[in-house]
Amino acid sequence: MNNIKTIDDYLLGRMAPGDALLFEANMLLNKELNNDVNHQQSTYAVIRQYSRQKIKDEIITAQKIFANAPQHRALMHRIINLFKKY
Amino acid sequence: MNNNRLSTAEQREAFFIALYKKAFPTVARYLARMGGSFEEAQDIFQDTLVIYYEKVVSARAEIIVSEKAYLLGIAKKLWLQRYKTSSRNQSLNDFDIEVLPDEQPSTDKILHYLETAGKKCMELLKAYYYDHLPAGAVTTLFGYSGTHSATVAKYKCLEKVRETVKQNSLNYADFIE
Repeated sequence: MNNIKTIDDYLLGRMAPGDALLFEANMLLNKELNNDVNHQQSTYAVIRQYSRQKIKDEIITAQKIFANAPQHRALMHRIINLFKKY
Repeated sequence: MNNNRLSTAEQREAFFIALYKKAFPTVARYLARMGGSFEEAQDIFQDTLVIYYEKVVSARAEIIVSEKAYLLGIAKKLWLQRYKTSSRNQSLNDFDIEVLPDEQPSTDKILHYLETAGKKCMELLKAYYYDHLPAGAVTTLFGYSGTHSATVAKYKCLEKVRETVKQNSLNYADFIE
């Protein structure tokens, strides 16, 4: 897995300051390493986007369960009425 | 909050339902006064909970004295941001509370990645990098024999997705819509 872990440590701030400095120097000298760091950063963006959507889907499901629960019917009715007043 | 308490979908569901009960009426009242619609209130509250979830599972989680007040604060900020931009369809991704930069990869690209990397890989990476679950919890949740196996699988998945990014010659700019 070559440099995956090293880049992970660097990007997530788990590298000792001295090691991070050395790593940054290597990035300047090694274009391939620099590209790998950029691609790994984009990979975290993909993970984040995927994860946010998954959590939002779970929240929408929770909202439906909450809104449709018989014990919340009166509360939901009051909430909907709030928007008719203004 | 201990992330172990939010490690399964069932635990998160109970957590979100409790927050709806606790804070949605207050947030809805505020947004109704501000001229928002019921649908906008639901949308704002969904995004509020995403942000709040990210906050409570993050490594930098703080002690929150009043959940209701905190959630109302996030909702107000989201509403004002949307109002200021004169567009109410501003994405959640424009709201940043993390150190990581915010990006908005296109849906097509994401779907392509998911097909390539596989759902299990993405779920594993989500557990580590987004839910911030401890290695022990990830090991149990995904049925690995030990934390070492789970960690190795994490790096293999990360490599797999990174390779896809690389093969598609995607860079940071490609993730901004």
